[in-house]
Amino acid sequence: MIVVDGTLKRRLGAWLLAAVAVLGTFLLVEAYTSAQRAADRAFDSQLEAASLTIAEAIQWQDGQPVVEIPAAAFQILATDQQERVFYTILDTGGREVTGNLDGVITDDLRQAAQSAAVWKFATYHGTPIRLYGRELKSAGWESVEPVQIWVGHTLSGRDALARDLFFRALSRFVAMVILTGLLMWLAIRTALRPVRRLRQLIRQRDADDVSPLNAQVPGELYDMAETLNALFERQREGRGALLRFTADASHQLKTPLTGLQSTSELALQSDRPEDWRRALQIVHDSSARTSRLAGQLLSLARLRHADEGTPGRIDLAAVLRDTVMEWAERDAAQHHDLGLAPLPDTPLFVQGEPWSLREMIGNLIDNALRYTPAGSVITLDLERAADTVTLTIEDNGPGVSRDLLDRLHQPFERAGRQDTEGSGLGLAIVDSIARRHQATLTVHSEPGHGLRVTVRFPLLPEEDPA
Amino acid sequence: MMRALLLLLLSLMPSVLWAQAPTPLHVEAALDRQVVAPLLARFQQLHPDIDLRYHDNSTLNVDKQARDADPAPDVVISSAMPWQMARVNEGLAQRLDSAAARNWPDWAKWRNEVFGFTFEPIVTVYRLDLARHMMPPTTHADLHTLLKTHQDLLRGRVTTYSPTGSGVGYTLFQQDARYSPRFWDLVAAMGAAQVSLENTTRNMLKGLTDGTYWVGYNLLGSYAMHWARSHPDIIVQIPQDYALVMMRMAFIHRDAPHPAAARAFMDFLLSEAGQKTLAGSTPLFSVLPDVVGPYTAQRLRDQVGERLYPIPINASLLAFVDPMRRDAFMKRWNREIRILNP
Repeated sequence: MIVVDGTLKRRLGAWLLAAVAVLGTFLLVEAYTSAQRAADRAFDSQLEAASLTIAEAIQWQDGQPVVEIPAAAFQILATDQQERVFYTILDTGGREVTGNLDGVITDDLRQAAQSAAVWKFATYHGTPIRLYGRELKSAGWESVEPVQIWVGHTLSGRDALARDLFFRALSRFVAMVILTGLLMWLAIRTALRPVRRLRQLIRQRDADDVSPLNAQVPGELYDMAETLNALFERQREGRGALLRFTADASHQLKTPLTGLQSTSELALQSDRPEDWRRALQIVHDSSARTSRLAGQLLSLARLRHADEGTPGRIDLAAVLRDTVMEWAERDAAQHHDLGLAPLPDTPLFVQGEPWSLREMIGNLIDNALRYTPAGSVITLDLERAADTVTLTIEDNGPGVSRDLLDRLHQPFERAGRQDTEGSGLGLAIVDSIARRHQATLTVHSEPGHGLRVTVRFPLLPEEDPA
Repeated sequence: MMRALLLLLLSLMPSVLWAQAPTPLHVEAALDRQVVAPLLARFQQLHPDIDLRYHDNSTLNVDKQARDADPAPDVVISSAMPWQMARVNEGLAQRLDSAAARNWPDWAKWRNEVFGFTFEPIVTVYRLDLARHMMPPTTHADLHTLLKTHQDLLRGRVTTYSPTGSGVGYTLFQQDARYSPRFWDLVAAMGAAQVSLENTTRNMLKGLTDGTYWVGYNLLGSYAMHWARSHPDIIVQIPQDYALVMMRMAFIHRDAPHPAAARAFMDFLLSEAGQKTLAGSTPLFSVLPDVVGPYTAQRLRDQVGERLYPIPINASLLAFVDPMRRDAFMKRWNREIRILNP
């Protein structure tokens, strides 16, 4: 049964989504922090410039710092975002020379600024601001004490710039995702086109078209197409075999029927009762053979077709003994020495159906009787190995040549002999039954030294586990 | 957040509810009540639900009120631009988010918190008597030359703002000094002419009318032009080299007890209706270029051309209130004004 387990598109889409989600989180976090950094850099440089402008205006009069704050410094500080501006100039003692930043510059900040310029986010009456402070040591005619210049402004410009940068990065990212999605979709469509083409090709085939596929497929689909081709190949073979079998069977049935017809015609033209009697005799024999042939064909068809009957635990030794006994009493066996080698005392269980096992043994015996001259010795035997049991039938007839051995279990194969009454179905039936029992059929022959057929069954344990 | 919600609720309430108990609105202004009476009347007419309490005061007192008063005034209006700027920079103003505020010209507002809503050129005013003796001054340089050449005739007859007594005067002198270093020559010449320093334009105009003064420097053009209409012997001259332009700046106090009413008042000041009243019924000029009336910025520009220099409403104003810069400026003023005296 074919179960639809999502679609490739959806699966690829899910992967894309997962990748975008994970990557996107990293990218956006990175974009956010870098936007903040960039905005801070841009605005910090304004603070620095304003601080420089103020520093330029500082002069010392009588050892005291005097500064005429340049108006431009405030404009630089405010930036075009109109920030609120804060500044203070502290003398060496930390007293405010001038400014509007009362109480924000702590002693710690002042001490830090003595060694290096200080950047700090602080608050002025609850409003977050950015502060920049540095110490200015100026040369002068008299000895001059250093002063500290602190400038600061509110953060709206930074926030706006950071937000702007971030949203630009975000929109670029979203555009990229959409584009990737589109490309992905196109790629999926393109990639799946060979699958659709293959499907179409198969759908368009006639029901009895078993020729190999003729298609261009990508590497990933090659195996599947190959498998399909192999399936078609097997189907073709199966169909061929079936056709051959039907043709052979018809031919086989036709021959005796033709004989029957000509015999009965001859008899009808005669007025003598003894001719009729002889003809009737012939008709009788011939129809018996035909009936047997039809029976064999039927069992072969049954065997080939399907799983009829349920297999069970069968004592192979018992079946063999019964079958041999039955055959030994038949007329056909009266001119041969049909014998059974001593069998093991314990039952030898195999998995199988009694009727097909009897059929197999019967066919083996029938074959041996038919293809050996009168007086030949036919011996059946069972040999037990560790987990197999081997059924052997051996005769001292003429045997068959080596190149015919492989073909023996094909239907209607009579080892090149057309002189017997056999149909050539015997070993084919045996082979089919052996396959059904997971047994292996081997035919061994030395020309002039008879034929040996072995069937090796898997052996069931002696005790029924059930 | 709660406050914002409350404000929203208040502003959404139908005015009918207010009819019984009008919202008081306290406006603290350095702007003569009688000058802006038509403006206030129009506002009352449009907002009968608001009980407008308008206090006019000196710039110094207005600044003090804005800093210290409890409860704070709702709206603060002053012509002392640097001090207004300093208060806004301290965070004493609240942002006005309205269409009128957004559409207000960028050069006349800061942070959408403080708005320059008038446009007042700074002028030189002289008596007709002066014209009988000499060519009246049309530029700053002319005035300097007259003071040098007619020193004896003009001695004691020159007046200007006191930089210590008037925030407006101080601001104008600071701005003058920014534009030209020759300003200090003018100060020295005025000092030599024993200039009288007044605290208000009104006082200067009174002195000019009664003949005490012949020439006044850096008067508020709005008042002077209004005055000259009823005093034909007073001539108003917009300097032809450069004319400073002062703006009254208004902001809503951060701690305004009636913020909704304050916003309504500000919106009115910045609205076309308000500006039209300003331009049509008061001597003040409108900032908006498309407002038609006798007193508009556009009309002034048409007359004087591109020589109008509005004092910019930006952070540079803060330099004027820096105590040390102020000290330095006053030191220089005091030095220069005496420098030609024997």
